[in-house]
Amino acid sequence: MSLLEVRGLTAGYGLVSVLDGIDLSVDTGEAVVVLGANGAGKTTTLRALSGMIPAKGEVILEGRNVLGQRPDQLCKRGVAHVPQGRGTVVDLTVEENLRIGAYGRGDDGIDADLQRWFELFPRLGDRRTQSAGSMSGGEQQMLAIARAMMSRPKLLLLDEPSLGLAPLVTREVFDRLAGLISGSDIAVLLVEQNANLALEFASRAYVLEAGRIVGSGTSEELKNDETIQRAYLGS
Amino acid sequence: MADFFRYLVIGLGNGAIYAMIGLGLVVIYRATGLLNFSQGEIAMFTTFIVWSFTQAGIPLWASMLLGVVAGFLIGVVLQRVIIQPFGDPHQKPLTLVIVTIGMFLGINAFAQLIWGTDTKALDPLFGNGQFEIFGVGIAWQKVGALAVLAVEVVVFWLIFQRTKIGLAMRSVASNSESSALVGIPVSRVLMIGWGLAASIGAVAGTFTAVDRGVDSNLMILTLIYALAAITLGGFDSLVGAVVGGLIVGIVTEVVPRYVDFLAKVPLAPAFALILIVLLVRPEGLFGTKRVARV
Amino acid sequence: MTDIATPTVEPMTSGSRGFDSQRALRVAPVVVILVLCIVLPLMLSEFWVDRITGWIPLAIAALGLNLLTGYNGQISVGHGALYGLGAYTSAILVGDQGWPLFLAVLGGALVSFAAGVIIGLPALRIRGLYLALVTLSVAVLFPELVRQAEGLTGGTGGYYITEPQVNSRGVVVDRPIRLEAPEWTGLANDQWRFYVFVVIAFACFVLARNLVHSRTGRAMIAIRDNEVAAEVNGVNVARIKVLTFGVGSALAGVGGGLYALWRTQLFPQSFTLLASFYFLVAMVVGGPASIIGPAIGAVFYGFFADVITPELPERVKPATPLILGVLLIVLMRVAPGGVVGLARTTMARFAVARAAPRGADSESAAGEDETASISRSEE
Repeated sequence: MSLLEVRGLTAGYGLVSVLDGIDLSVDTGEAVVVLGANGAGKTTTLRALSGMIPAKGEVILEGRNVLGQRPDQLCKRGVAHVPQGRGTVVDLTVEENLRIGAYGRGDDGIDADLQRWFELFPRLGDRRTQSAGSMSGGEQQMLAIARAMMSRPKLLLLDEPSLGLAPLVTREVFDRLAGLISGSDIAVLLVEQNANLALEFASRAYVLEAGRIVGSGTSEELKNDETIQRAYLGS
Repeated sequence: MADFFRYLVIGLGNGAIYAMIGLGLVVIYRATGLLNFSQGEIAMFTTFIVWSFTQAGIPLWASMLLGVVAGFLIGVVLQRVIIQPFGDPHQKPLTLVIVTIGMFLGINAFAQLIWGTDTKALDPLFGNGQFEIFGVGIAWQKVGALAVLAVEVVVFWLIFQRTKIGLAMRSVASNSESSALVGIPVSRVLMIGWGLAASIGAVAGTFTAVDRGVDSNLMILTLIYALAAITLGGFDSLVGAVVGGLIVGIVTEVVPRYVDFLAKVPLAPAFALILIVLLVRPEGLFGTKRVARV
Repeated sequence: MTDIATPTVEPMTSGSRGFDSQRALRVAPVVVILVLCIVLPLMLSEFWVDRITGWIPLAIAALGLNLLTGYNGQISVGHGALYGLGAYTSAILVGDQGWPLFLAVLGGALVSFAAGVIIGLPALRIRGLYLALVTLSVAVLFPELVRQAEGLTGGTGGYYITEPQVNSRGVVVDRPIRLEAPEWTGLANDQWRFYVFVVIAFACFVLARNLVHSRTGRAMIAIRDNEVAAEVNGVNVARIKVLTFGVGSALAGVGGGLYALWRTQLFPQSFTLLASFYFLVAMVVGGPASIIGPAIGAVFYGFFADVITPELPERVKPATPLILGVLLIVLMRVAPGGVVGLARTTMARFAVARAAPRGADSESAAGEDETASISRSEE
């Protein structure tokens, strides 16, 4: 049984329908990417999955249909969503941002986790009392990911982590991310325009066009697919 | 000089009350990005509740604390029943301004319905005594107001900076969407924010009522002074509410003493203050500078 | 932010359909109101004609508020002050300066216009919540100033529009100056007053309608919907906003002036914060961003205050603002487009039901367009 199973997901804003029946699945510990151009519905997919916008269809998480639950309820069930533009709370300090990441947790391992993140990302540790808004884009992206990880998720939803970052920084973010989840059983569902890096990172991919899944396969298969190459790999 | 000193002390005492209402406005603004025009009316309503408890023979101190609890509950109910159905307050502040005006009308009339239109007397919390400094008599009540204000500020500061719920409130105020995504139950946090803001109205009301008694108009002028205070101090700053409140208290007490035509309109300097601050430095003395949302 | 902008839907254009529901909807209420205006004074008692006459100034002032808030997106919680300013100015011009009545109303309108422009100037920098704050302060300040300026306004004791007159027993008494019917009309004074007020109100509503449909009106709406976009598109935002504040206030002044002529006595407590709130109620009930809405709202408020309230038991009377407050909240929730918005939605549904089923989308679009009239200004 997969960790996440999505069937016939439709969603939109007001009168405009954006998703036109999406099917996809993510297994435990697996990294999956949804590729698509601007306006294909990538962000909408993630927003529908984490309960930020009303949607129809089925979203089955560990065998339970969780469609219609609020974001904070889904977070407790192990879905952590790093929104587009990173969503760091700029008026809070770095440490406070990490602490709200653990808001739904009741255990006493929070301080230990904080320490672990500060060791993993010394730059976050250096700036723990500074406002998150004062950090660079790459640092904020790492903070947003670390914050999502503070909730000890089973499934991490990532919305275009490369957005607005320099290519080198983007690569670093992906490398760090790969290091974080390798060996853990955290699954990642990533939506990206930057297909090169995303296909390297993920093991499977879906292609989203105008609100429909128009293709899927392993990353290797898609890298070698001519249409995909032309549309998303820029070659 | 002695006169000036006396006006100063009276002004500070009044300013403490403006600051208390200002604190409530700031708490809601920080938690929800909303300017709650019914803040003063909630305070008036809970002051009536305080009065009712004293009528039942409960000491004033205890009545006031019961009023604080009642205020918290009222705030929670108002948020749940009226505010929450409108969704994210950041999206439609003007709609919610009109809604809080509806609450203003409703609460004011409801109080008259329950307690009638005649004015009720409330004793001073710190007695009628006074002491002398430099030959100027200072009422304990005024000093008490400042002391209580100090306690309130410390309590709120601790809640915001040192508790999990306070952190959640600041997070929601800054970015409610991200807050929801990390698992903060936004609507419940907003509810507690409303409860906290409404809870302190009973204290401000108990102090205001000493001079003028309790009736349904208790807080209308005070609300304007409190709005002037937080405009001066900055909508999102607790310290600003206090400093702003005290300055407004002093200005509205001292200026009319020396400027004849303002003698009967102490509101005018407060209004001028609002206008000047908004034109010159819209974020106030201590507020965060940000692009206006509307 | 969403990755897809919320769609802005144009109101349904019904030209393609056989039954022009939009046009019928616009014209029908006007016809009904005009017929009522002509017939009512002939049917009702003097008491009721007089009462209903008193609703007309409210409608004109609410119209002004609607131009400002409904069409231009500038919230004002201080409209009662500008109404009061118009009322006192007109009253003093008549009572102290001996001006002809209508000239005095015009004078009141001009003074309110000037005051509106003065408030509107800082409003260029102060908007949204801040503007609500400033206008709220104006509303609270105004009655205090009236009380203070006792020499001019009579203070708390009130101002009476009177002239000394020798009565039949040769004693000099103060007689209220009121509008009286000329002989040739054959009308009673109350009927004459009503018709005159209606004509003035009608002129105001027609002027407002023409304004809204003019270039300036489109600029007002553009500013409400998106100020930055309006500016980019060459709208002189500052000029339009100040002008709207002035015109909205001038209408409040006309309303206030007529109120003074109707009432012949003014008290500061008639122009408190509550008065400003009631104008908001009238606007929201009738329908923000509609021309006829304020008239409906004023009739509703007048009916509520003059017909329903007196019937209530004494004990419950203080509760009347409670009813209005609850109504305001409920309306903002379920029908932010007010009565007019509801009517338009219903008519649009009706029209769509007759048209092809394909019209489902445009149906909700037409409804949404109206209900969004306030909230849209806030993006």
